[in-house]
Amino acid sequence: MSGPRSRLFPSLLCLTGAVFALLIYMIFEVAPPAQATAGGIAQKIFYFHVPAAYAMYMCGIVCFLASAAYLAGATDTRNAIAKAGAECAVVFGFMMLTSGPLWAKKAWGVYWTWDPRLTTTLLSVMVYVAVVVLRAFTGDGDAERKFAAALGVLGTVNLPIIHYSVQKWGGNHPTVIGRGGGGLSNPVMYWTLMLGFVAMTLLAILFVWTRASVALLSSRLTRAEEEAMALEPDEDSA
Amino acid sequence: MTFMNQEATAPSKTPEDRSTEFVAVQGGNEGTSAEALLVTAYVLMWAALLTFVFLTWRKQGALEKRLAKLDDDLRRAAGRS
Repeated sequence: MSGPRSRLFPSLLCLTGAVFALLIYMIFEVAPPAQATAGGIAQKIFYFHVPAAYAMYMCGIVCFLASAAYLAGATDTRNAIAKAGAECAVVFGFMMLTSGPLWAKKAWGVYWTWDPRLTTTLLSVMVYVAVVVLRAFTGDGDAERKFAAALGVLGTVNLPIIHYSVQKWGGNHPTVIGRGGGGLSNPVMYWTLMLGFVAMTLLAILFVWTRASVALLSSRLTRAEEEAMALEPDEDSA
Repeated sequence: MTFMNQEATAPSKTPEDRSTEFVAVQGGNEGTSAEALLVTAYVLMWAALLTFVFLTWRKQGALEKRLAKLDDDLRRAAGRS
């Protein structure tokens, strides 16, 4: 895996910055506000909230694939990608869980309700938080890595449940996009959302790439330090 | 807010007339500013992203320090032998 210093990284960084600038312009200058029952101008939270949820799914899937690959055959790279996936899933999950209640306050009148989608999403983010905390406080041994990888695999099992919870169990959460949803009536709203998806995808790639590079570098450095310690002559025998 | 309006239009004469409970009303969210919620949501989301970038930058800085120390130790060890 090449680090953030490779040639592709700065190009990706510039592209992400440009897409985000355009997205912010579209949200606040071009896209019209929605109807009052959807929160009025607060509905503009939607253009970051939904793509952040999608980015959390993506990072969760990255964590799942890398964790499963690590359990099949342990390598530093697989461990680093699994770790990065979980960390990024927490960040995007936090974005979703803070923006959603603020929009809900205007649209539903309450910040939080124990709706199936909200509850399963909270549970999923908590699992990724557990993975991150576990990795942060239990060291970087093989047993800890395997345990974190297993938790990463289990955490991702919850993602399809979140997605289909609205269709199966109902609840307050809107189903505007996808099957059963009415969609976005205004084309500007639709393209702003699409741009949001592109922006969050690019950001998720950048974040996972950077965090995985840092984690991989840390593992290699730890190994080099251990090897250097083993090579060092004993002070007593000298 | 409803409680305060009632107070303003019909001030209570005795302690017994005063409200002894708060009851939720329909449409109670009308007073919440959509603009304030929108700004708060975007501020929190950007704060999360920037905090993550800052933590990553700090972690990279810590790795660079460890790398410099290892480099220094290896140089000293090579000088001793």
